[in-house]
Amino acid sequence: MHILVYGVINSITLSLISLGFALVYSISRVPNFAHGALYITTGYIVWLFINKITGFPYLLAIILGISISGIIGALIYRLILIRIRGMEISEIIATYAIGVAILEGLRWGGLRGMTFTLPVFISGSTEILGVTVDFQRIVVVVCGALTFLFLYFFTHHTRVGLALRGIAQDERAAMMLGIDSDLTAILSLAIGSALAGFAALLLLPLGNIIVEAGYSVLIFAVAVCVIGGLGSLLGTVIASFIIGFAQILTDKYLSTHYQMVVALLAIIITLIVKPSGLFGKQKELEERV
Amino acid sequence: MEVKESNRRVLEAKELMVFYENMLALNNVTLHCEEESILGVFGSNSAGKSTLMYTLSGIILDIKYKEEMKGGERISVFGKITFEGKDITSLKPHERARLGIILCPERRRIFPESSVLENLFIGSYLARKEREENLEYVLNLFPRLKDHLKRQGGFLSGGEQQMLAIGRALMANPKMLLLDEPLLGLSPAYQEIVITGIKQIRDTRKITIIVTEQYARPVLPIIDYGYILENGSSVLSGTKEELLDNPDVKSAYFGV
Repeated sequence: MHILVYGVINSITLSLISLGFALVYSISRVPNFAHGALYITTGYIVWLFINKITGFPYLLAIILGISISGIIGALIYRLILIRIRGMEISEIIATYAIGVAILEGLRWGGLRGMTFTLPVFISGSTEILGVTVDFQRIVVVVCGALTFLFLYFFTHHTRVGLALRGIAQDERAAMMLGIDSDLTAILSLAIGSALAGFAALLLLPLGNIIVEAGYSVLIFAVAVCVIGGLGSLLGTVIASFIIGFAQILTDKYLSTHYQMVVALLAIIITLIVKPSGLFGKQKELEERV
Repeated sequence: MEVKESNRRVLEAKELMVFYENMLALNNVTLHCEEESILGVFGSNSAGKSTLMYTLSGIILDIKYKEEMKGGERISVFGKITFEGKDITSLKPHERARLGIILCPERRRIFPESSVLENLFIGSYLARKEREENLEYVLNLFPRLKDHLKRQGGFLSGGEQQMLAIGRALMANPKMLLLDEPLLGLSPAYQEIVITGIKQIRDTRKITIIVTEQYARPVLPIIDYGYILENGSSVLSGTKEELLDNPDVKSAYFGV
């Protein structure tokens, strides 16, 4: 029971972390390696708001934090990525450099040690199927599911969301219909970064805000997206469940330290066995034909 | 059908030259298009038909930019294009689409993972308010699409995809429709449907249309004016009667 309950929680946690990364890649083909940095930055900004300004409402801090994260993402594209669009290696180097700069900048600026924590939304815990689960983790699961539903609705039933999917499937065909490729890329980075921030605010109350978490979040997000097939949202969720349960199992039968190994091993195995990922579908095929 | 002298020139392209590296894809092509007319552009493979369409719709600028970024082929574009009196030579494809020039590309380029309905809705990006109206129009024009609204675009047959591609372009409320080889790979039955559809679009929506095709015969009955491209140059132009009277053209493009 423990494995089932915590497996689900861990899986949804992973998909929350990865959805932003997957979304950005599927729409703009930019691998946003600054994802983990935005995750930590949002947590830190919210921490600053509620700790440096007395009486600052938590909810407002959260909304501001997520918006700032989105704006940073949009700026990264508008100021830097727009100049190197289409050069994949440069995109990776640039976004990774930005990510490292942000994270190490935060460390240098004083984000060290275990003193940085965010309060949980609802304290306390309950029992599900005989397993003790705290309320924050339940909030995570509910918000994770809602996020996915929201993304599904957004990309299938709104004008802008449909435009994003058009660009994701065939950029040039979408351009011919009047959709601005740069604008959608900015938008996708903003949404993806906001999602990273949202995930951070849900998950960070469960631990400390530490710089290292920024790197591991990035690795988990990349692992999930590689396994699920880069650019497939459904694949992302399914891959989260695979890795999520694998991690809980190693945690139970081996040791907690091996969790990262699981993610990295999964990347390697996927790349050897099925390089396009579980749901990498047509794109690969078309290129071969 | 005769073109009245008073008709306005909607689109004018002057001395278009396009190079892929040192290969000349379009050589000094000058053409113009009267309002509410159907213009045919004919030529064999690699005559420059698609390059012409890409140049008119601005996609060539995107190709050029992407190639530069990759360090690939060097593409140079010269000449001047005006649409409704406005110089659009340096406008990006989406800006031209906003002015009303919509390209329906070669090989259709349907969004394969979206359903037929979603494909049409993505097409309505520029005309959200008229979406329901346009949808009704498209479904009346190509009733066959009605049966497949929920089906994924990638699973349609070639003919259905072509109808969908034209329908998707119509959802954007174009003033000018560029159709690049709309009959490519279609059965004669579907060719018939598409050709009738094109004529009906012009007659009912007052849209100016440019059609390119390798073989002129199926398209000829509906065009008002035609150009013939050979190796990137426009070698001949005229009304359909003039084209038909030319013996060289007859044997080469009309399969007579």
